[in-house]
Amino acid sequence: MSATATQPDSSYLLRKLHSFTGLLPVGAFLAEHFWSNSAALVSAEKYNATSEELQTIPFRLIVEWGGIFLPLLFHGGYGIYIWLRGKSNVSAYPWVGNWLYLAQRYTGIIAFAYIGWHLYTERWLTHGKSTYANVAEDMQNPWYLVFFIVGVLASSFHLGVGTWNFLCKWGLAATVKAQQAAGRFGAFVGVAFSVVGILIILSFRFDWHPFSAYLPTK
Amino acid sequence: MSETKQVMVKVKRQAGPKEAARWEEFSLKWRPSMNVIICLRDIAENPVTRDGKKTTPISYDSNCLEEICGSCAMLINGRARMACSALVDQLEQPIRIEPMSKFPLVRDLIVDRQFMFESLKRVKAWIPIDGTYHLGEGPRVSPEIQEKGYPLSNCITCGNCLEVCPQVNEHNQFVGAAIISQVRLFNMHPTGAMNKSERLSALMGPGGIQECANAQNCVHVCPKGIPLTESIAEVNRDAWKQALLGWLVG
Amino acid sequence: MRQPKIIVVGGGLAGLMATIRVAEAGIPVDLFSIVPVKRSHSVCAQGGINAAKNQKGEGDTVDKHFDDTIYGGDFLANQPLVKRMCEAAPGIIDLLDRMGVMFNRTPEGLLDYRRFGGTLYHRTAFAGATTGQQLLYALDEQVRRHEFEGKVKKFEGVTFLSAVIDEGGVCRGICAMDLRSSEVKTYAADAVIFATGGNGAIFGRSTNSVVCTGSAQAALFQQGVDYANGEFIQVHPTAIPGEDKLRLMSESARGEGGRVWVPRNPAEKRAPRSIPDAERFYFLEEWYPKYGNLVPRDIATRAIHRIVYQEKLGIDGQPAVYLDVTHIPRETLDRKLEGILEIYEKFLGVDPRVEPMRVFPAMHYTMGGIWVNGEDQASNVPGVYAAGECEYQYHGANRLGANSLVSCIFGGGIAGPAAVKYAKNLEKGAESTASAVFDSEKKRQEEKNQKLISQDGSENPIIIWRELGEVMTEHVTVTRINRNLQMADGKIRALQERYKKINLSDRTKWSNQTLNFARELENMIILARVVTLGALARNESRGAHYKPDFPERDDVNWLTTTRAKWVNNDIQLAYEPVDISLIKPRPRRYDAVK
Ligand SMILES: Cc1cc2nc3c(=O)[nH]c(=O)nc-3n(C[C@H](O)[C@H](O)[C@H](O)COP(=O)(O)OP(=O)(O)OC[C@H]3O[C@@H](n4cnc5c(N)ncnc54)[C@H](O)[C@@H]3O)c2cc1C
Ligand code: HEM
Ligand code: SF4
Ligand code: FES
Repeated sequence: MSATATQPDSSYLLRKLHSFTGLLPVGAFLAEHFWSNSAALVSAEKYNATSEELQTIPFRLIVEWGGIFLPLLFHGGYGIYIWLRGKSNVSAYPWVGNWLYLAQRYTGIIAFAYIGWHLYTERWLTHGKSTYANVAEDMQNPWYLVFFIVGVLASSFHLGVGTWNFLCKWGLAATVKAQQAAGRFGAFVGVAFSVVGILIILSFRFDWHPFSAYLPTK
Repeated sequence: MSETKQVMVKVKRQAGPKEAARWEEFSLKWRPSMNVIICLRDIAENPVTRDGKKTTPISYDSNCLEEICGSCAMLINGRARMACSALVDQLEQPIRIEPMSKFPLVRDLIVDRQFMFESLKRVKAWIPIDGTYHLGEGPRVSPEIQEKGYPLSNCITCGNCLEVCPQVNEHNQFVGAAIISQVRLFNMHPTGAMNKSERLSALMGPGGIQECANAQNCVHVCPKGIPLTESIAEVNRDAWKQALLGWLVG
Repeated sequence: MRQPKIIVVGGGLAGLMATIRVAEAGIPVDLFSIVPVKRSHSVCAQGGINAAKNQKGEGDTVDKHFDDTIYGGDFLANQPLVKRMCEAAPGIIDLLDRMGVMFNRTPEGLLDYRRFGGTLYHRTAFAGATTGQQLLYALDEQVRRHEFEGKVKKFEGVTFLSAVIDEGGVCRGICAMDLRSSEVKTYAADAVIFATGGNGAIFGRSTNSVVCTGSAQAALFQQGVDYANGEFIQVHPTAIPGEDKLRLMSESARGEGGRVWVPRNPAEKRAPRSIPDAERFYFLEEWYPKYGNLVPRDIATRAIHRIVYQEKLGIDGQPAVYLDVTHIPRETLDRKLEGILEIYEKFLGVDPRVEPMRVFPAMHYTMGGIWVNGEDQASNVPGVYAAGECEYQYHGANRLGANSLVSCIFGGGIAGPAAVKYAKNLEKGAESTASAVFDSEKKRQEEKNQKLISQDGSENPIIIWRELGEVMTEHVTVTRINRNLQMADGKIRALQERYKKINLSDRTKWSNQTLNFARELENMIILARVVTLGALARNESRGAHYKPDFPERDDVNWLTTTRAKWVNNDIQLAYEPVDISLIKPRPRRYDAVK
């Protein structure tokens, strides 16, 4: 018997890629996105400056497509394929992990719809030159507002659970104890993203800038 | 329950893989420390339904009656578990008894779990010894490894962990937690480790470890309390490391 | 050159070991088993496996293991082969170790050994509290590997019905039934190794698994394969009473320091834990100071029966005594006994770490079995081999704890190569046997099925079985009295008559378990009679066979192996001397220095 290892199946590689893209770059982009958007918590000007900074990076299209859109499309598309190949059974086995499994799928599809719409309104319609005013205006529409909130919560939840999943599934958190700790970490990620995301939305909605005091007094 | 001294049991019957399924209800005499196997035996002794209709005894698998052979897995009140250790007094009535749903049905409560034995073959779940002739003692094994490996080697191939896994279904030939845990066991043993890469490769094939989506149901229903989520995580780590190395080094 | 073909029936430890040995010799093997082999009864063994490795520096030797085994078996075992087994035992442990069995270890990484009944040495290797399961899996994995390499073909879910024996009285294969399709088929082979385990089911409830009916042995017996020492069955002193099964509480509970006791006051009402030591009767320790709680099984069993039935000291007047491990540190219990304590907790809902267990003796092991020749596991019918609990050779009148696993693996290990050698030396193999020989056996078996399926009658096989179990347990286990044995035989024969009128409540052909059970029942009744008649004839007390009317061992008249034969459709008992060439019989006493 030979002990040679054969190459992994493509389903293995794709699945690992899916998992990886969830965190990097998609998750990382979400973090970056929340970070730069929290400039709105300081002031509209700060927000516009930050946006402009980002909107004017060199090779913007390549970075956007290669670093965000394509990975997201892959993660989302393959995510749907994974979903279709699973068969949830929470009614018979209502355990937390099982609920999270189901929630991961629904929040994924919500996030997908939301991100698509978000990109369409804030990226496409504005030709990539969205400003504070554009977003603030959208937020006045109650339907938009609700969709924003749902989308942000779903994405945050999905990233939180995803982080936990990722740590378990790559064996970075292997023991029961480590997986519990990873769970707490994932929960922290989910809650932190939710809170920051909601604060940003409120900021746009009510023209509210809690950190404006940071600004140098003129 | 105990006042009426009756036990109500509902069993899903199916005469063969292609026949239609139906439910039958039985009313049995309650006795202390009665379990589901005793219920099925009572029915076999007097195969008459609750409304007095004669029927056939129920076909089911069992052997050890002490939860060590893995034969008697079935769905009891909707949950995968071993019939021989399912005590009537701890179950809500009427007790619903069904065959496992993820394996091909044979008859009544009997299903065909050959898939698991085939999977064990696929991942080479054995220590490849040279022969049974005398070759001296085995390798030394630290008590630490033994304490980790022993629980894993308790797997009775009952299939509960596959039954409850959302990733095991008709579209998905996922090998399931038990097999992954066996790979961990053999890879842990000093001699078994010599074929570690082969086993990991097998687990990176179609239906391999990648199909696990971390719902973690398996660990709740394992009658042997095997730390399945831990096994999956560890094997996952070994697997991607091997895949990455193979890819980097060729 | 002709390629021989071997069949192994039974996939417990013995059958799997035989299979591996045959496959290693490069000969194709067909392996038959009722249950998937990984689910064989061997998984139930809890305590451990014996080998005199002297790993604790106590001066244990192969000779001492040999002596303990012979002495424990009350000198009824043929000695040379037992000696070979004891010599081979350390090598068997090494082999299992190499196969990856997760034996418990010492800090140095060596195998750990514990003390078991009937010996003063730490001689028992163990893997947690599920040694049998661990050993069976190790062999199962090796067989799976051979299967993967194409050397073994498994027929799981196929039950042996009868041997195919040609006009010359030579076995040429088997006739077997697929338990799903009920299809009866014959399979040709040059030699067949039987490893079909024990026959607990003839006692109704026992510590054995469901498929341990002895049906295969009984079928062979009716085809001319002799059956030896049937009357010797072992009752285990400590089992957990249950309606479907009497679950074993392993000797290792006592090996790790568990103590057996009853309240001194039969009217005791206090909870066991609040009874002070002085008011507890540790009867084994008092009666057998040297071995204490670790006296051999027959002695412990009779002591418990005496406490319950003569001294009337059973707990709450019930047939039960306490087996107490509550004084042992929880950490030790969890590390060494977790598996078996879990069984108690699981099936009774009481934690034995806190509350002493209630136990009572139960039918446990079949010392008797298919007669084999003392040399290479061959029976009296050419081409029929036997190994494991289904044969009789290693344990004499009483088996020592942890000696069975080793005898199964040893016996299977001999049977494999012996069958290969026999098959290779055959001038004409099964391929040249006339097909009529196979056809007529198949026809005979099909007709039996047809008759059972179609006949109308008034008897229920399960009820007959239950009554059989009751008769056997009451009269043919711990205490045997000739008058009762005669009555028991009468009852069994009456059951045999009633069997003729059985009515199957299921007449379908697909996966009909009632049909198979009815077939087994017919055989069980025959075997029950072999056991009962053997017991009736043997007017002495030896090992597990105890007759109050003949309380002494009688070496003058009864140092003989019982050899039951099937003559004119009836049981005939013959006797042959025991080979005592190596150790001279001496009285067996555990209350004094031996
Ligand atoms: C509860 C318990 C605990 C024990 N603990 C110990 C211990 O600690 N140490 C020790 O040494 N011994 C112990 N023993 C004894 C030991 O387990 C058995 O003697 C031994 O496992 C028997 O193995 P075997 O290979 O002979 O048969 P089994 O394991 O009984 O296997 C029999 C095989 O034959 C097959 N079979 C039977 N009939 C047919 C048929 N008609 N057609 C096809 N296949 C058939 C079955 O499917 C099975 O595969 C214990 C026994 C019990 C009951
Ligand atoms: C906001 C954008 C998204 C982020 C940040 C994100 C992040 C993640 C992360 C980190 C994981 C864990 C990876 C793993 O399981 O190992 C994950 C898993 C998953 N994601 Fe996303 N994801 C996003 C969008 C989507 C979309 C649009 C879908 C499509 C429906 C989706 C479907 C899934 C699914 C099904 C899983 C579980 C995979 C499995 O069970 O193996 N995700 N995601
Ligand atoms: S891992 Fe547990 S649940 Fe799964 S087959 Fe093994 S014993 Fe059953
Ligand atoms: S009968 Fe063996 S596990 Fe239930």
